[in-house]
Order: sequence, then structure tokens, then C-alpha cells
Amino acid sequence: MIMNPITNRQVLDLPIRESGAKNRNRIISGGALVVALAVLTVVLPFVTSGYVIYIANLLLVFTVLSLGMHIVIGEAGQFSLSHAAFYGLGIYTAGLLNNAFGLPLILNIIAGGLVAGLCGLAIGFLSLRMRDIYLALSTFAFGEAMQWIFLNWTPVTGGPNGLNFQPAHLFGFTFLSDKAAYPVVLILALVFVAATFVIHFSTLGRSFRAVRESEIAAAAVGIDVKRVKIFAFALSAFYAGAAGGLFTTFSTFIHPESLGFHTTILVLTMVVVGGIGSVSGAIGGAIVFGLISELLRQVPSYQEVIYGGILILFMMYLPRGIFSLIGRR
Amino acid sequence: MELEVLSLFLQQGIASGLVTGSIYALLALAIVIVFRTTDVANFAEGEVYMASAYLAFFLIAIVSMPFWIAVPATVFAVLIGASLFQRVVLTQVAAAKGVSVNLVIATLGLSYVLKGIVRATGFGDTPRSFPSVMGEGSVTLGSASLTYLDLTILGAALAIMAVFFWMFNYTKIGRAMRAVGMNRRASQLVGINLGHVQMLVWGLSGAISAVAAILIAPKLLMTADMGVVVTLAFAAAIIGGFTSLPGAVVGGFIIGITENLVGLFVSSRAINVAPFVVIMLVLIFMPQGLFGGKVRVRKV
Amino acid sequence: MLTRRTPLRAAAVAALLSMFAAPALAQEPGLTPTSIKIGLFGPLSGPSMSYGFDVMNAARMYYDKINAEGGIHGRKIELSVQDDRCNANDLVAAVKKLVEQDQVFLLNGASCSAAAVAGKDYVVRSGVPWLMLNASADGALYPPQPNIFGAFSISQRAMGGSIVEFAVKQLNAKKIGYINHDDAYGAWNLEAAQFQAKDNKVDLVVESVNPNISDVTAPLLKLRAANVDVLLIATYARPAQLILKKAYELGFTKPQVLAVNAIANVQQLSENVGSKDAFKNVYIQEVLADKPGSEKLKWVYDMYKTSYPDLASKPDHPQVYMPYGIPSAMAVVKALQDAGPDLTRAKFIEAAKKLNFDSGVMAGPIAFGENERAAQKASIFLKFDGAEMTRVPGAFASRWTYQGQ
Repeated sequence: MIMNPITNRQVLDLPIRESGAKNRNRIISGGALVVALAVLTVVLPFVTSGYVIYIANLLLVFTVLSLGMHIVIGEAGQFSLSHAAFYGLGIYTAGLLNNAFGLPLILNIIAGGLVAGLCGLAIGFLSLRMRDIYLALSTFAFGEAMQWIFLNWTPVTGGPNGLNFQPAHLFGFTFLSDKAAYPVVLILALVFVAATFVIHFSTLGRSFRAVRESEIAAAAVGIDVKRVKIFAFALSAFYAGAAGGLFTTFSTFIHPESLGFHTTILVLTMVVVGGIGSVSGAIGGAIVFGLISELLRQVPSYQEVIYGGILILFMMYLPRGIFSLIGRR
Repeated sequence: MELEVLSLFLQQGIASGLVTGSIYALLALAIVIVFRTTDVANFAEGEVYMASAYLAFFLIAIVSMPFWIAVPATVFAVLIGASLFQRVVLTQVAAAKGVSVNLVIATLGLSYVLKGIVRATGFGDTPRSFPSVMGEGSVTLGSASLTYLDLTILGAALAIMAVFFWMFNYTKIGRAMRAVGMNRRASQLVGINLGHVQMLVWGLSGAISAVAAILIAPKLLMTADMGVVVTLAFAAAIIGGFTSLPGAVVGGFIIGITENLVGLFVSSRAINVAPFVVIMLVLIFMPQGLFGGKVRVRKV
Repeated sequence: MLTRRTPLRAAAVAALLSMFAAPALAQEPGLTPTSIKIGLFGPLSGPSMSYGFDVMNAARMYYDKINAEGGIHGRKIELSVQDDRCNANDLVAAVKKLVEQDQVFLLNGASCSAAAVAGKDYVVRSGVPWLMLNASADGALYPPQPNIFGAFSISQRAMGGSIVEFAVKQLNAKKIGYINHDDAYGAWNLEAAQFQAKDNKVDLVVESVNPNISDVTAPLLKLRAANVDVLLIATYARPAQLILKKAYELGFTKPQVLAVNAIANVQQLSENVGSKDAFKNVYIQEVLADKPGSEKLKWVYDMYKTSYPDLASKPDHPQVYMPYGIPSAMAVVKALQDAGPDLTRAKFIEAAKKLNFDSGVMAGPIAFGENERAAQKASIFLKFDGAEMTRVPGAFASRWTYQGQ
């Protein structure tokens, strides 16, 4: 029973008979949500503090990282645990190029992505023979070894002191604050989002997923499995490296401590909790988990227990991720 | 380098390496039995090990239980706890039909929860130990010296491994575990209760970790972060082939010795990265490890 | 439309508005005529929480005391507290939240050096004054920044130089074994140690290990084989205890000196190492004014017990570094007082630069200068036999100075 707001009389709650109307409502409300989010995103710097924009910038970087992880694990089914290493390569490359040559931001980001991508290519090559747990363990070991290199190659990376870089600049404009960097970070992140959707619906995406489902079947239909796997690694690493370059837009310091296994795991959980295999899942997972992580900082005593508890509960009861609740992928 | 110094370094490095290696071997064993029977890479292994140490510490130092009661109590408690985790959480995760990585993430969740609980008790901030049950003193073998505690650790670890292998190879329950490890469906067909075996294996894995923790805590001191040795245990398991139990044990000793030899002959800075380099080299050039069979193709 | 009533009404409105305008006209954020907002931050959770949890509590109890005594020039201190989890990203988030969201007047925080350095660029750019808690944070203090002050415990440069000086002058060492970590801390203390060794014309044999090391056989065996006269241990607590144990096992009887960051809890140290014989030749560096448990520092521990009775009854509280919060809070309060009732950030910074006082808690004075941003540089040395500590007389100063790299 519902109340008629005009007459205040009770009215029978009749079911909507037309499914067409239901779908239309869904699309309208989905579209309204997207528009609302878009407006919010654009208006944000004008209505909140630099701190909130800093968090937004970090979330955008994590979104790109998450999309990269999605490509290698979600699309291609390759269990790669060296994400933080590629991210770190991107940050150091972009930062060092900026310090040395003062190149514009976009070039630094691309360079960061390329260096990481090349490394990813090599890793992809070496890992052709490995499956599942062995692949996971060797990429994990590679990630740890890279962190050790970041920490000990002091002349280049600053070693345990960390590395300071000059503020990034683009078209003569220098980014000196989070709010200044935000529009660029947002636009670039959206470019990656769009690219990922394009890849998802393209032949490449279908090849990735074919390899994920069954390498033998994929080979049977003429897919060059080796090439696809190597490319998945390289592309994913490119994303991570570019995310690193993006990080230098609003941050001028990096320490190897932030580039370890826990960062890779954070990104992995974003993808899994968001919904593995789903592009919007990866994006949603990045934003939700990034926010959870920052919010938990306000609950110092129990945050680790809460965080672990959330992970366990998700894995038990929402295995396909948050975004499985929201209809089709 | 003079020959005398070289010889000293080798002997001491190997001797001490065998002691810490025996602990890595136990932890690697715990990881491998779980992986073989439940297909889960247990990333919470280090935290189970750490939490066991603190539980024992709590019983001995705070509740003042005598050592000889506290130790079995701890091992038993961890055994129960680990089996329950498998039964309650992991079977649910597996039944929920997500992806296999979900199981690993569930173990990661467990590791955070355990670490958080230990930190919340306030015992974690300063390194701790148990009162030593061994007298002081050491034994000299050639140029190397090992304390009585060292020998106890090594001896106890080897004894545990021996008991375990005996159980695994000569008892009915061991046979059931091996059957599940070989082929899950087939073992169910011959009447083995899969759920029970999996629970038992997790419990056993927890118990082994607890024993390892209690043995090594007086030597390496407990902190809330002591679980990081799990990466060394994974390295050991990989060297062994990740599905071979004797391989895990040999791998543990190899890692322990390698740590010392790298520290002595390369640089102390490199000690930390050595296991990762080993993992990569083994997996690239010898993916089946030293003892593993052919790399099994799981998916078709 | 102008009427005869307009001037009166306008005046009334203006008077009303001026009541609200007064705070709004304050140029400085976090400041009202009756309050000063201070952003307190440090590790409240995570693996390194023992470096800062009780340090923050100590600062807080000191501020409570000042408030109870009437505040500073009529203003009471209000605290806005954030957890930095001892890592770079979270520290930056904490700082940005405090400065931009909570609009604090000044920052008082940071117990973890590597993380603190991450906040440097933002704080310099925003101009907010920042007095650290117990972080050494050499990387943020050299070269000196206008608004960043730190090393209230001791800078790592001062620590490294001082411990080498002790080894040379007190223990007559010609060849010194030095074990430190391969992290930022380690790099800073090593720099000063090497400088001091060179200046004293002695050899320094260095072994750098990872804080997570399990088997210390390798570095110790090497140093013993190198025949060092003294072993300086500049690691964190757990590795330091392992080193003492292993040194004893390997029959190393030369003097061993534990740097201040190597000591978490002296009683635990003794218990964990196990044997009293291991302490035949062990010295401890301390940056507090006197040995722990002494009369001099009793007031700090008593104040902690009264302020936090629940915490004080839990095991391991107060945590070891608790007293370090006092000199930092004292410095904040003194600078606020010296800056006068007409308070601005600029005046506060000028007053901070001129600080030079004895906190009664630390081994040396808290002193800054036009180009000096590290507060405390002195340390004392105690001989520790496993149970008792005896003060070794003498001052052993680090001679490292910033070379303008």
C-alpha cells in the first residue's frame, strides 16, 4: 500500500506490467547517475578543499592502475603480481626526465608508460612457460627485486632518501597544487578509461578473453597465444607506468616504501572486489577501496582488522564483486 | 681472502644456515601441504606463525602457564583455529563460485585480521621472547659454533618433519591426504571425505607453523612483523617444486644457507633480495623446481 | 530607498555584522581570540605505531597542562588529530587534511623520518609552520626550510657522529665496526659516522642490513674477521638484540655500543638477549637527560599516569619513546608565547628560529638558528651490565655540519 501524495489516501500498489517501462527507467536512472557523477567530478575543486582533491587525484591514479591490472588479470587471465614495480618505474622515469630535461608532462607520462611497458614485455616473454601459481610467484619475486633496486640504486633513485622532483608542467603552466593538477589528471584518467572500454569491446579484448578461458581453444581458432600473452603484460605495464607518470602531476616526492607488494595487493583487491573481468568493476573497485583505505585512517585502532574482515566477507558473499550487484558487466 | 677465513665463513654460514633453514623448511612444508590438497597459496602463513608465537607468549608470560602445558595448548589452539578458518571461510569462498584468486585474497584478509588483533593487544611493539628452556653454552663443529638452542631447534624441526613424513606415508589419514593431493574427484569417488581431509590439512599446516614459531621465537625474537619470513618459506617451496614435500624441506635448508653465504661473500645488503632472485632464476630455468614433476597443465 | 530610518537601521546592521566579522577578519587560519588550532599527527596504527602513539599522548598531556594554566596569551590550544600510519602517502594525506580541511594554525607531528620527508614539499609551499614530534627526518631539515623544524629526539647526523666520537675518545678504537640499516635513517647516520671517523683518522667498517633480517651471522662474522676494536650497532631494536646475542655466541668480547634507535625497552633487551655475560662490555646511547627511571624524568611519567590512567595500566605503556613528545610540545608553546598576543604564522616562525632552552627532558638544549632546523644534538652514554646502568661522564659531540649539497 502506498499513499497518494496528492490526496493522502491509500492506493493499491499495482505492479508495473510493462517491462519496457522498467528498462527505460533503468536506463534513465543509470544515465542520471552518470550525469550526476560527471557534474560532481567537474564541480569538485570549487566546493571542497585541496585535501579532498588530493584524495581524488590519488583515486584517479589508482583507477588507472586498476585498469592495468584488469587488462592482465581480468581480460587475459594472467596472474601478474609485479604491478607496483611497473608503477614505480613510471614514477621514477617521469620524475627523473622532468628533473633532467624539464619535458612537458605528457611526454613524461608517455615515457614512464613506455619504460614500464618494455619491462612488462620482457617479463611477459620470460613468463610464457609459467602458469597460475608459478606465474604469480615469479612476478611477485620480480616486484620485490625491483623494490630492492629502487631502494639501493641510490645515485639514480635517491635510494632510501626517496626522490624529489620538480613540479610538472604543461603548455607553460606549472602544477603547484592538487587543484591545479586535478583537471589534467581527470582528463588523462578518462582517456585510459575510454581506451580500456574500447579494448574490451574490440578484437584484442576478445583475444585476451579467449586466452583466459582456454589457451588450447584459442590457439585452435588461430589466435597467437604467445603474442597475446606478451602483449597483455606489456599493455598492463604501460598502464601502470603511465599511472606513475600521472602521480608526478600532483606529487613531487616518492619513496620506495610505497612501491612494494602491499601496493600490488591493494590494486588486486580493487579489481577483485570491484568485479574481476568487468571494466566498470575495476573503476568502481578502485574508487570504493581507495576511499575505504582513506576512511579507515580515521579509525586507527581497528583498521587492519576491519580491512581484513571486509576482504574476507567480500570473498565469502560477494565473490563477483560489488558491480555484479549492478546488472550486466 | 685467506683460506682460513674462507673456511670459517663457509662452515659457520652453513651451520647457522641449517638452523634457520630448518624453520623455513617447516613453514614451506605447511605451505605445500595446503597448496596440494586445497589449491590455495596461503598468504596468511606468516601471520598464523606470528600469531602462534604471541599466543604462546601470552600463555607463558601473562597467564603463567608452565612451558610444557602452554606449548601443546598453543599448537592445539592454532590447529583448531586453522581448520575452522578452512571450514567456515574458505569452503564458503570456494562455494561462492568466484575466481580462484578469491581464495588467496581471503587468506590475505586473514593475515590483516591476525596482525590487527596482535597489534591491538599492545604486545607487539617491543621484541619479545620466551624464557629460555635451554642452558647456555655452545658446541663447536670444526670452525663453526652452534648454541644448545640452535641444536634443539634443528633437532626438533627434523623430528617434526620425520613424524610428519611417517604420518603422511604410512597412515590411513596420510594416504587420504595424498589421494586428495593427487586427484580430488577420484579421491571422493573412493569414499574419502574431502571436507574433512581439507580441514585436517589446514589444521596440520597451522600446527606446524605454531611449532616453528615456538621453536624459533627465543632465537629470532618476536615482533608483530615476524611474518615476513613467509616470503622465504615461499622461496623454499618454489625451489622444491611447490608440490613436493621433501622438496620443500630441502628448499628450506637451501634458502637458509644461501642467505648466509650471500651475506658473507657478496654483501649484507643483498641478503634481503637473494631469495627473490632465487625464485626468479628457478622459475625461469627450472620451473618444476628441484623435485617437482612435470608442470601440470591445469586448464584445458 | 533612503528614509530617515535608514542611517539608524544601517548602523544597527553594521554593528550586528561586526560581531561576526571579527573572527572572519583574522588573517591566520586556526586562530581565534580564544583558541589556537594545532594539527597533531603521527602513527596511531600500523607496524610503527610504537614510534608515535605515546609520543602524541605526551604532547597532548603537555598541551592540556598549558590549557589548565590559562593557555597562551588567553588562547587555549585545540587539537586536531590525524593518523599518518608512518608511511609517505598517508602522512601527506594527514597533513593536507589538517591544513586544508581542518584549517590548523600550525602542524605538530611526525615520528617517522622517511614519511616525514614526503610532507616537506607541500608544507614548504603552503607556508604552514611545522614542528615535528620525534622524527629525525634529516632529509627535511637539511637544507633548512623556512618553516620546518625537527629532530627533537636527535638528528641521525648527530647520532652517528656522536657514537663514533664515543668509540674513539672513550673506547680508544682505531678500527670501528658499524652496523646500520639500508634505509633513509641508516643513510643519514652513516654519513655523519663516516665523516666523524675520517675526521678522527680511524677506520670504519660498515655492514648495512635490512631491518627484517633473520640471521645476523654474516655481518657479525665479517666484522669479527676484520678485527674491529669496537662494534657500533645503529639498527632498530630487534636486529640489535639479535646482534648482541650472536656476538656473544661467536665469542666477540670487544666493546659494543647500542645507538639510541636500537633500544626499545631496556628490560626487554636484557631478557631477550638472555645471558648477563653478554653484557660484560655493552654501552647504551641515550638522548634523554638521564637514564630511564631517574629522578629527573619522573615528572613526565607521573604526568602520563595521571593523564592516562587506563593506558598506564596496560602492558608496555607508556611506550619507550613517550618522553620525546615533551620537548616538541614545549617548543611549540614557547614559540607561541614568544610570538606575542598579536599572533601570526610569520611571527611564530621567527620566534621558533630563536628558540634555545633546556627542556629538562633531553640530553641537550633545544636550539634552532637562522640556518639550523635540527633541535637536539647531544647524547649521553651509559654502561649497561644487563641490570644496572652507570653514566659515563663526558660529552661526545658530532662534528658533521651541513655542507650545502
